[in-house]
Amino acid sequence: MRSILTSYTFPLSSVKPLDGLLSYRSYCLTRTLEVLAGGTRRREQSPMGDAPLEPFGNVDGLDYLRCPESGSIFLAQLPESMKWARLLAEVSRYRHSPGTFHSGIAQSRGENVYTPKLEWIQSSLRMLGVGRPRVMEVVTPPSDFTRFLGASGLFAEVLTVDEMELVMAADSQISPATNGDASSGRSGAAQVAVLLESLDRVNDPVALLRTVAGRLTAGGLLFITALVSSGFDMTVLGPRNLYLFPPDRTNCFSLRGLELLVSRAGFALLEVSTPGVLDVEIVQAHLRHDPLLPLSAFERQLLAANSDAHAAFQSFLQQRGMSSFARVVGRKQS
Amino acid sequence: MNCLIFGYGYMGQIRYRILRNHPDVRDIRVVDPGLDPSTAGLDGVLLPATEKIPWEQFDAAFVCTPNIATPDLCVEGLRHCGHVFCEKPPGRNWEDFSRIAAAAATVPGHTLVFGFNHRLHPSVQAARALIGEGGVGDVLYIKGTYGKSGGVRYRENWRNDREISGGGILLDQGIHMLDLFHLFVGPLTVVDAVLVDSFWGCGVEDNAFVLLRSEQGVPAFLHSSATLWKHTFRIEIGCREGYLVVSGFLSQSASYGREQLVIGKRQFEDEALALGNPREEIIYFDRDESWESEINEFIAAVKEGRPPRHGTIEDAERVMRNIRDVYALAEHRAREKSG
Repeated sequence: MRSILTSYTFPLSSVKPLDGLLSYRSYCLTRTLEVLAGGTRRREQSPMGDAPLEPFGNVDGLDYLRCPESGSIFLAQLPESMKWARLLAEVSRYRHSPGTFHSGIAQSRGENVYTPKLEWIQSSLRMLGVGRPRVMEVVTPPSDFTRFLGASGLFAEVLTVDEMELVMAADSQISPATNGDASSGRSGAAQVAVLLESLDRVNDPVALLRTVAGRLTAGGLLFITALVSSGFDMTVLGPRNLYLFPPDRTNCFSLRGLELLVSRAGFALLEVSTPGVLDVEIVQAHLRHDPLLPLSAFERQLLAANSDAHAAFQSFLQQRGMSSFARVVGRKQS
Repeated sequence: MNCLIFGYGYMGQIRYRILRNHPDVRDIRVVDPGLDPSTAGLDGVLLPATEKIPWEQFDAAFVCTPNIATPDLCVEGLRHCGHVFCEKPPGRNWEDFSRIAAAAATVPGHTLVFGFNHRLHPSVQAARALIGEGGVGDVLYIKGTYGKSGGVRYRENWRNDREISGGGILLDQGIHMLDLFHLFVGPLTVVDAVLVDSFWGCGVEDNAFVLLRSEQGVPAFLHSSATLWKHTFRIEIGCREGYLVVSGFLSQSASYGREQLVIGKRQFEDEALALGNPREEIIYFDRDESWESEINEFIAAVKEGRPPRHGTIEDAERVMRNIRDVYALAEHRAREKSG
């Protein structure tokens, strides 16, 4: 199994600036509360097992629960899948509207978010000897990454599949529609599936992975990115972390929880890494936003240290699986 | 498949463990005259050293002995079983290797594999996959350092007794690095070499510095050493679009450090903030299946009646030719020096 250390760096402001995030976050929370007001079910058990979930904290009126075994965090209340699908679609459209921070930094997000992800997929495919596969991008459309996948020339075909349709298909056994590029429109097995923070958003990540596994060929590859609760900024900030909000972060698995989830869905783990570069900067940004943030003496000492110390600490987090940004590569077992 | 293992030292034990778990292996027997049957812990497995070997009962032989015994056992194994897995090096010298090769040529449908497992380490496999168009580009040069510290019983080890081993650290450990050079840049010829017995005084080289060149003109430099007090395994591969550094090695002792591959991109001032300090990614590996992979491949080749994919006689020939040339060069220099 592989893990990763990277010297690639970029500032928080180039991908998800805290100031810019706040209005988007507020929109997401408002819309989520409205959807939940229409009736919900409460999650009682961890998706990774039978353990009853424990209280974790409250995020602007919304309870989050914690899996005692893995440390993963989950939004407590969820509506029926159809309503959740509509919410994710609405938020995705909003994210692509001119009013959010995403559009203002689209170019730097392309350079610092999507290009590295594409390079990760490319080098992994090369190392694993997979050439020009059919790829299934699992997302709530529209997706900025679709364009990168299509323009890369790495794939024989790019299929974009709605993540919530896959969740609902797990229950109904209905084959969800796919939108292929090159106007193919064909559905069927793919050799590669890409889930960029998809497991963070959907209401039933276990069902999603089950359906994705069913749509992959034997030996097919699964690429996942996720924000993980076991990472530095998540563990330091807890429920105060302003990047923790629904629906984008409905689920926040720990790295161990993510491993368990993927393994139990029938995938052999090829890479489990946390090559995040922003943990320290995220905590710094929170401290600037709220100078009274409860931090330990060590945490304040760390944040007050120079940039070399921050870089060394961030490298340590990457090497030891303690950053909040996680990548997983799995291979479907026959 | 019934397997016969000659030699139950470090390598023989590894082969035994892997064969015991292989689904196509029915029976394993071990021959090692140096073992005391009462303490070996191989009841029912160890063949009495005094008895004639019942070759007809076996399908494949694994030769895990000191180098001096390698050619005879390979020749016998090929003659009787037709399928032989031989640890590196393939004999003490070019003549030993040539005997094995000649014997193989007389056995139709034979399988002969040499244990160059370093090729199958995950960092090496990943590096190889990244070389070429679309990756880090073609290779410009390659440098390798492979060495160990010896230890208090170094002088007593048969590997450093020229009569038994045929050579020093280059033949023992450097041969792996040479094999990797061939894997990355193809056939190489020796340009120059310096061998010294600088510390251990065993009468064989404890340091070898070898300069080589590939058929395409790619230079390669090897330092093989028995005086690297910090165990080291490191290959630097400079390429047109970037570079790769394979270092560390998953081994039982873990003394070579964490196995990793550095992937660097060529970046000039237009792409990087500081020239000469490009973006790097380091991949760490925590699973080595090289031993299993090479045995699986050997058994698959036997079962399918096809040539093996690695550890072939051609692979062995290339490295043994290089080592022959290095030793010849060193001998020539020594003669010149002594007048």
